[in-house]
Amino acid sequence: MTVAIETRGLTKRFGGLVAVDKVDLRAAAGETLGIIGVNGAGKTTLMNCICGLYRPDDGGDVFVGGERVTGQAPHVVAHRGIGRTFQVPRVFRRMSLIDNLLVPVLDRKAPDAELIGRAEAMLERMQLIDLRHNHAEELSGGQQKLLEMARMLMPDPPIVMLDEPFAGVHPVLCKFMIERIEETAHAGKAVLLISHDLTSIYRLSTRVIALNQGRIIAEGGVDDIRGNPAVIEAYLGT
Amino acid sequence: MELLILNGLVNGLIVGGIYALVGVSLTLLYGVLRVVNFAHGEFVIAGSFLAFVLFSSFGVPPLLAVPIAAVVFFAAGWGLYYVLIPRLARSDDPELMSFLMFYGVSIAAAALLLLLFEADSRTIDYTFTPVSMQVGPIYVSTARLVALAITIVVSIALALFLFKTLPGKALRAAIMNPEAIQIMGVDIVRLSAFAFALAAALAGVTGVLIALVFPAFNPFSGAEYTIIAFIVVVLGGLGNPVGALLAGVLFGLAEQMATVFLPQAMAQIVGFVILVGTIFFRPSGILGVRFKR
Amino acid sequence: MAARSRALDSADRIYFTLAALIGSVLLVYFASVPLLGLNVAFHFYLMLWITMASAFNVASGFAGYMPFGYVAFYGIGAFTTAILVKKAAFPLFLALPLSGVAGIVLALLFAPTLRLSGIYFGIVSLALAGICRLVITNMPEQLTGGSFGLQLGSRAHPVQSFYVMMAVMVVALATILWLSRSRLGKALRATRDDADAAEMMGVNVPIVRLYGWLISAFFPAVCGGVEAWYTNVVDTETAFNTLTTAKTVIYAVAGGLGTVTGPILGAVAMVWLDELIWRQFPLLNLLILGLATIILVLFLPRGIVGTLLRKKPQWRRYIP
Repeated sequence: MTVAIETRGLTKRFGGLVAVDKVDLRAAAGETLGIIGVNGAGKTTLMNCICGLYRPDDGGDVFVGGERVTGQAPHVVAHRGIGRTFQVPRVFRRMSLIDNLLVPVLDRKAPDAELIGRAEAMLERMQLIDLRHNHAEELSGGQQKLLEMARMLMPDPPIVMLDEPFAGVHPVLCKFMIERIEETAHAGKAVLLISHDLTSIYRLSTRVIALNQGRIIAEGGVDDIRGNPAVIEAYLGT
Repeated sequence: MELLILNGLVNGLIVGGIYALVGVSLTLLYGVLRVVNFAHGEFVIAGSFLAFVLFSSFGVPPLLAVPIAAVVFFAAGWGLYYVLIPRLARSDDPELMSFLMFYGVSIAAAALLLLLFEADSRTIDYTFTPVSMQVGPIYVSTARLVALAITIVVSIALALFLFKTLPGKALRAAIMNPEAIQIMGVDIVRLSAFAFALAAALAGVTGVLIALVFPAFNPFSGAEYTIIAFIVVVLGGLGNPVGALLAGVLFGLAEQMATVFLPQAMAQIVGFVILVGTIFFRPSGILGVRFKR
Repeated sequence: MAARSRALDSADRIYFTLAALIGSVLLVYFASVPLLGLNVAFHFYLMLWITMASAFNVASGFAGYMPFGYVAFYGIGAFTTAILVKKAAFPLFLALPLSGVAGIVLALLFAPTLRLSGIYFGIVSLALAGICRLVITNMPEQLTGGSFGLQLGSRAHPVQSFYVMMAVMVVALATILWLSRSRLGKALRATRDDADAAEMMGVNVPIVRLYGWLISAFFPAVCGGVEAWYTNVVDTETAFNTLTTAKTVIYAVAGGLGTVTGPILGAVAMVWLDELIWRQFPLLNLLILGLATIILVLFLPRGIVGTLLRKKPQWRRYIP
């Protein structure tokens, strides 16, 4: 299996706080890497470093498909093939759902009609097709999460990162989203899945890393993590 | 030359005190309500016109106009708050829309002053005895010294109010964290109305002082004071009252010194350059404390 | 799928038919103004404000900026044309496009401000316009004419300048119609709604913003040039009058930011209202303009077209 995404010694400081501390992770195509940790463990910062929003400190590096992308602008990194969602949905509020999906593929050479067709197919898959001409701000919170997922998948990126996809989502929708994530992994994408909800992580992940205070405290298969005393300590301890 | 500089310093202090008050009222408004009062200069100038009317029609001396302006403007501000602000909060982008709305308020207020008083520049013919006093080697007009004294008294009163009284502390808390203060059970609407009224009262009082310090004012002077208020507020850090007081004095000094050393036109540009420069290079203001938003 | 594409095509058809209809009505109406002996001055300024409000819409409605110093571009354009024609004896039809270029150059100088947002951007824009005014006011009198301003001489030609203004308006509206459907327009809107998210979705935010900004600066500069030609005189007080910004903003907001038709409708309604009031109560004109702004923000913050589309979201596909 080829490594789709890799970080080496990834570090990010904010003032005196080390939010991400020498994180090495790798995920192969078709693999779902779960990233767990309590609030403030550095999960989202890690993601922001990977997609270029933050510049890593201390010579940490990010590789996409074996190529170094450290320090490149977010839009460049995005074109290398990383799609993502956000903890609190960040849809383009005053744009139609179709236009929302077109944003990540604006630079493609394909004709508009073809892209719109693809956007509609994607909305169909996310069961949002009837709302395609609505503005994104008119959607419910759960629907916005689905829209983000559709937007993420639109350019068909080899790597996707989902930040707390199940937070504040009701169980039925949760199940729907889990199925979509499984499909995504089966389609051969590397999935980075951030959550503090262990049940969904354990169900979806092929491997899991646990973060605490920016550092990886445990890594391995689901069963290794589940019984790992350091993880239990981080979750339940002081 | 030294006399000129000393003159610049003293006048800078006096003018700066006024700028500080203009700025502190605007920053209070922004801090608590997150609205940008484009019409602030017109509020201020309306205070000057109030002093003018009080004196020329009723013979009320400017010193007495200060408390009258405070009361009148406080009441007007309280009323205006309920007309303008609650509805504004419902728009898509209240902060930017407030800018636009107060743009309208500014045009309307200037037009109203123009209708009432016409475009001529006005002066209050009130003279203190003695007309001027000696400060070290230079003479300063008594009116200006009186204005400075009032400025200092008002600033101290404001500082005491903000830091020592319960409503003052609530105001500062609201600037720092508007969400939290609602959870604490403070009626944010009343507090905001109070902030608006307080800012208006301060603006009105400042207007009276301007009538004392500057030779003349007209309905179009408002725009200048709005710009000055922006400069002071940005320099002091958006929403930071202490910063605004300090920045006002600094800017007054800088401006007066600039008129000593630079041609008039350049001196005017200095203010704009300070404004742009601060936003680019030190967006949190001279004190470097950006109040959390 | 096929049915859906057909529906899409028909929506597009309605959209472009409507755009063509509005365009030709404007065109025929304005073209016949001098021929029918209607009020040339009124219609000249109506077209000017339609152009200004529409171009402002690119910066505000599409890109999400509120340039409160928008008049800077207009003023620079006015002085460029005046100086080139009067002092360098340029032919007018060369001077006017150069006014547009001057607007673009100024916009490039101001480009660093694009990283600011919200009120910071608005305040800086205001200050920069103030600096522009002061700099031009203090230029040597033989260049800018000092406080008396520059007379363009015997070159005034109201009807000719009327048609040139019309051409400028048509180009501006066509540009914005194109923009609203283009990929650049989508990128701009995404940037307006959430710049960081857009960047992470692959949008080159700084470049996209710059393009929008330049489009938005070009047209007011040309407007300034045409107006200088039309009135035959330029001075700093009128060329850099803050009221120009105020009117532009208010007309655009009245119609509805972010739509093509909004600023047109807003300008038509407000200029007409302005004229009506001005004729009846010349003194109250400013006061009413101010009050109208307040009422607009409080009761119609999305403008005429924006409010309509809010109520009827399904119409968004049909209305330019």
